[in-house]
Amino acid sequence: MAHPAQLGFQDATSPLMEELLHFHDHALMIVLLISVMVLYIITCLITTKMTDKHILDSQEIEIVWTVLPAITLILIALPSLRILYLMDEINDPHLTIKAMGHQWYWSYEYTDYEDLAFDSYMLPTQDLSPGQFRLLEADHRMVVPVESPIRVLISAEDVLHSWVVPTLGIKMDAVPGRLNQTAFITARPGVYYGQCSEICGANHSFMPIVVEAVPLNHFEAWTTLMLEEA
Amino acid sequence: MPSMLQTVGKQLRNHPALIPLFIFIGGGATMSVLYLGRLALKNPDVSWDRKNNPEPWNKLEPTQQYKLFAINMDYSKLKKDRPDF
Repeated sequence: MAHPAQLGFQDATSPLMEELLHFHDHALMIVLLISVMVLYIITCLITTKMTDKHILDSQEIEIVWTVLPAITLILIALPSLRILYLMDEINDPHLTIKAMGHQWYWSYEYTDYEDLAFDSYMLPTQDLSPGQFRLLEADHRMVVPVESPIRVLISAEDVLHSWVVPTLGIKMDAVPGRLNQTAFITARPGVYYGQCSEICGANHSFMPIVVEAVPLNHFEAWTTLMLEEA
Repeated sequence: MPSMLQTVGKQLRNHPALIPLFIFIGGGATMSVLYLGRLALKNPDVSWDRKNNPEPWNKLEPTQQYKLFAINMDYSKLKKDRPDF
């Protein structure tokens, strides 16, 4: 989850998010270089004593400031397109989970092997234990096995929602009547938080998503427990 | 048409800095048009012939690559795991 006053991205937990982070660093560095250069040119222009009222032209500098920006744009576009296509690849997931958005909670269905389905409501602030995160904790977490490719099928039962986990680099709209697919793989065990990202009514800010990645034997124990509870 | 080309040719001779501009803009426009053409003709979401090929999106093989680039994906290894209908 984000820490207070955080400006940058959360640490990446999936390899895709790592790629996105590195691309963001790359693009931001280019943008900062251009901005600093422009600022420098502006200060030179303002403080110079060399002024000429005749119009100057130079073919050489025109070639330079056509070719260099074109090359810069190509250097940004190529990694960007690579990540774009990488994000759409789904490589043989081990598990498929359906995440359905409702007003105002998420429900998860694990129907690959057994019929496991449960709702995930936000924990009200007055019911939090010390150390839990306000507006982020849910009563039932979406538990997944760590280091396994997971496919998530996202849809909604009423209005638009959006299933988001920033540290996994996932944002996918939950559209009623439509099935959207995304996939992720967690590199580490842990608990990862996200919040609904499409305005859906009064409690849009109060339907968080919590993904918990655990080793496979713990995941199997959890599914057994959840099936018994239901 | 030919006089327009002659005008442009004269301008290019006097201002050779315009040549890289033509190259990049022309290249970009060409790539966009080619990609749009590819999408129109080869995207399985598009159906041109309603009689002979009404729903091409139902005829996708698991090993078929319909996207332009495959970065990390070995399509030949994919299996079909859904039922026919």
